[in-house]
Amino acid sequence: MDRRTVMKAVGGTALAVALAGCSDLLQEEDDPIEDAEVPDEPIEAGLQTFLEGAPAVLGVQAQYGAETAVRRINDNGGIADRQVELEVVEEGEEALENYQQFVDDGMDVTFGPISSGNHEAMVPEINDQGVINVATDGTVTTLYEEDHPPEDNQYSFRFQNHDVMEALAAAIEAVELLGEDEIDTYAGINPGYAFGFDEQEIFAAGIEQLTGAELVYEGFPDLGTDDMSTHIEEVNSEEPDVLFSSCWGGDATLLLEQGHGAGMFDNVELLVGPVLYGSANDLSEDLTDGPIRAGSRNFYWDQPDTERWSPGDELVAEVQDEYGVLPTAHFMSGYGAVTAWATAAEKAVRLLGRWPDQEELAEVLTNHGFFTPAGYHTIGPDHQGYSNAHFGELAWSGEYDAAVIEDVNVYAAKNVSPPQGQTSLDWIESW
Amino acid sequence: MIESFVTHTLNGLYYGFILFMIASGLTIIFGVLGVLNLAHGELYALGAFVTFTIVGYLTGLVASPTGPVSALVFAVVVLLGSLAAAAVLLPVGAIVESVFVRPIYERAEVYQLLLTYALLLIFIDVMKFGWGATPVDPGVYSTLNQVPTTELVGFGYPSYNVIVMVVGLAVFLWLVWFFDRSKTGRIVRATAINRDMATAIGVSTDRTFTLVFAMGAFFAGFGGAMVSIGPGTAFLEMGLDPLVLSFVVIVIGGLGSLKGAFVGALLVGVISRWAIWQYPPVELAAPFAVMLAILLVKPEGLFGTWGEIE
Amino acid sequence: MSRFPLVEDRDGQTVVRIPLTRGLGLTPLQTVFAFLGLVGLFALPFLAGLVGLSWERLFRGILFGLAAVGLNLLLRHTELVSFGHAAFFGGGAYGVAVLAAHYNVSEGLLLLLGAVIVGTTLAVVIGYFVAGYVDIYFALLTLAFNQVLFATVFRSGFFNYNDGLQVRIGGDRPTLFFLEWTTLGYDLVLYYTTIVLMLVMLLAMWKLINSPFGRALDAIGQDRTRARFIGIPVEKYVWLSFTISGLYGAFAGGVYALLRLHVQPEPTLYVFVSGEILFMAILGGFTTLVGPLIGGIILVYLLEAARFWVEYYHALTGLVLLAIVFFMPKGIVGSLPDFNAWVAGRVREPGRLQEDVRSATAAVREGVDRATTTVRIIVFGVK
Repeated sequence: MDRRTVMKAVGGTALAVALAGCSDLLQEEDDPIEDAEVPDEPIEAGLQTFLEGAPAVLGVQAQYGAETAVRRINDNGGIADRQVELEVVEEGEEALENYQQFVDDGMDVTFGPISSGNHEAMVPEINDQGVINVATDGTVTTLYEEDHPPEDNQYSFRFQNHDVMEALAAAIEAVELLGEDEIDTYAGINPGYAFGFDEQEIFAAGIEQLTGAELVYEGFPDLGTDDMSTHIEEVNSEEPDVLFSSCWGGDATLLLEQGHGAGMFDNVELLVGPVLYGSANDLSEDLTDGPIRAGSRNFYWDQPDTERWSPGDELVAEVQDEYGVLPTAHFMSGYGAVTAWATAAEKAVRLLGRWPDQEELAEVLTNHGFFTPAGYHTIGPDHQGYSNAHFGELAWSGEYDAAVIEDVNVYAAKNVSPPQGQTSLDWIESW
Repeated sequence: MIESFVTHTLNGLYYGFILFMIASGLTIIFGVLGVLNLAHGELYALGAFVTFTIVGYLTGLVASPTGPVSALVFAVVVLLGSLAAAAVLLPVGAIVESVFVRPIYERAEVYQLLLTYALLLIFIDVMKFGWGATPVDPGVYSTLNQVPTTELVGFGYPSYNVIVMVVGLAVFLWLVWFFDRSKTGRIVRATAINRDMATAIGVSTDRTFTLVFAMGAFFAGFGGAMVSIGPGTAFLEMGLDPLVLSFVVIVIGGLGSLKGAFVGALLVGVISRWAIWQYPPVELAAPFAVMLAILLVKPEGLFGTWGEIE
Repeated sequence: MSRFPLVEDRDGQTVVRIPLTRGLGLTPLQTVFAFLGLVGLFALPFLAGLVGLSWERLFRGILFGLAAVGLNLLLRHTELVSFGHAAFFGGGAYGVAVLAAHYNVSEGLLLLLGAVIVGTTLAVVIGYFVAGYVDIYFALLTLAFNQVLFATVFRSGFFNYNDGLQVRIGGDRPTLFFLEWTTLGYDLVLYYTTIVLMLVMLLAMWKLINSPFGRALDAIGQDRTRARFIGIPVEKYVWLSFTISGLYGAFAGGVYALLRLHVQPEPTLYVFVSGEILFMAILGGFTTLVGPLIGGIILVYLLEAARFWVEYYHALTGLVLLAIVFFMPKGIVGSLPDFNAWVAGRVREPGRLQEDVRSATAAVREGVDRATTTVRIIVFGVK
């Protein structure tokens, strides 16, 4: 492959190539962007994510991802020669206040948050302040579909797939595995807060449309609880065909631990969990037993197979080397959010011949497409990121001494999310 | 249905015993010293983190169990490790009492609250410094479940839960023995009832208070240890909700009453598990609703005794 | 009454009092502080930026501080420790949010009125149940009511769970005085309206605690039985002061919702927010009227901004509070006179500073020694 082909494939710039993880395919050559009028000072960027406590299981991965992207950008000469300085701060419950502080501190761009409630609080403020935020997560479905449609939203973007994509992928995954006629009953154990309610509602709509299955139990243990035994006992006594759980972090390990302890996996045909793989680095070998299909949102590090896909292989090596963990989907949340903005910024410089202002950059980000080691991503007209969704059989890898997923199914965004302008639940009903 | 009922009740008892172990330290300290220790949850969390280190080390020394007997040996090692972890809390509690709490016994209660809240914040960062910001898990839960317990009588129930109930009961009985029968325990009670009189008969109230605080910290840490070796993980903010739940337990039982805390914990455990079973949305509110109901009917709690440990 | 204007005899001492309202006055020093405070308050949006502070954050601090002023009515006078005041702050905030999100009320002042009504109603109801309790039972009962409220909101779709509600009507922020404003204009109008109302509330609180009713509350705080004997309707008065106290929180919560334009349960209703409101009062000085306000500003600033300064920001806040407990027991405002004297003393004799350090170190060392002995005794027995 020559340089031109690679560059054309990934969006045309050296930076985009580097962030796609393909830079070794490039040879040195003059870059036209060097003529652009660009300020000398570095780009200041802020990231807020959960750095401590239970949700840090996800949040720290996002930090690693963002830092890795920034490192790659700076190693490759920055964005149009501008280096990036990333400040990372604890999200806590003060995401809105953190964003304001970032703006006060003169940040050029901000990334985060993880929490959907936090994200919801921020969107109007982002549009008031006019400093672009690319959310790593905060994936509640209704956010850009209903609450902040494109005409009201200029500067707020989100990279990670929203809930509908993984919840629907989970429903389809169950049907593919067990067969439409084999699923008569289903149950849900989801964390008792907005995200869990959102996921359960969409999964329920999806699986009922696909199979006509009947809901036999629906439990919502508290987020960060230390006991789910009541919900597990209810699943045991109802024996549903499919159990759906969007539990993540410590809740996911708790569900698997107590589930195994109470023999839950003898009583269900299948557990599908869209964020289960987020706990990959915290699972032990015995927890991966049983009929469990784990989701990994828009990124699974071994998809495509790292033996044949060098960008993936290099990324895993770099992350293992730097942080001693396997990257999960939340790693990609951080990596992709930074990459989305950085590639858009460079594209804008190329178009304008100078550094863009926030409005121009927002314009470029809308409908922007770019590569990461996870493949191709787009930001839709609704400011929502669209990428493939991943599900696979939870298993154990002796080589990495960590949980992996095997037999991975990849769901294209258009198969698990509604067309622009339609809401998810309406769309599912129209199937 | 019957089997479900039994399991739900067992789950409630299990959860109640966990709550009791967390709350016992709080009630001891409050009963004798009259200090509502807001940092109690952090002592509990510290116990969980120390357990991760000690139990992690100890289980590295023994081979993975292959049969019921070796599983039992493994469980004993884990429990000894938990005790050792809790013992680390003894000096921590003693230092907290003698350096920080002692100077302000005479001041208004609100200073004790502010002080222990400040300690709560500081402890969080101490643990962040020691074990990092992300959750840790000693990962012994599934091995503990290999210990044969209920399946001996033909009933499937996680052995860890059974172990917790047995240990919790042992903790309760030991505490009752300590305060009722042992000499030190009687001295502590005497001091709680009348400090001046205790001093007059030659009891060092200072030392008694330090001892009680250290004991309270020990049981907080032991509660943390029992949770840490269970299905959950140890994480920085893990102390906040148990602290609030401990309040509920000791208030229901009657402040300063050990038996009250025991009954209160089991009541909250069982009623809340039944409530979730029958009406899942009530999960978050259940313990507090139980507390309000009991207090509004019986204001001093079930076993209310003022200022003395019973 | 003295022959000279502004000069009074008090307990045999001659003091200068600047009268503010009938029967109430300030000492000259207090007058200076009050004047500086007023100027500071009104210039805040313009001054804060100059010294690198965020005035919106200071504004939030003032709001939490105002809730603490309300709580302090109970703490200082009836000597009741409330661990559930977030119920009223959050109740006020949700009053605004529900009216805006579900009933499309678009005028800020009406929303604020709604907030006060909702929060105060909560205080009336909760106060009815807790008025007869004292000490730790009072604290923990208020905590339980608070937590039930939190759990209800957190788990209810009507309140949009923990994602919370927008205080925007069709995407627009509310009007103020029936006018639409720009972002900055809105914040400024909201700020000045709040400041004026707050000054009225502070003045009212000052009058209240110096009224016979305030004295009765003091009597209740000192000894309920005695208060009952001299004919004070104790429960009724506690209930009333609890309600007034909740009203302050409700107002502050309402303004908070109008400022933040999005209300979630954790930052407004969680039981640890109640704790923070309590600690603001102590931090600022619960023996003073405006202390809680200062405490609110400082604690909110620490809780929100310390994470941008240091990695171990919990510990930083903890150390500040620890310092208050041991070195400024009367809180920041309450300790001002003592602090002045201490500084003056050390300026005169710098050598005594070393002495202070030495005695503090000695105290810590002694404590650790004692702790070691006790632990040794616990583990190995006497001998």
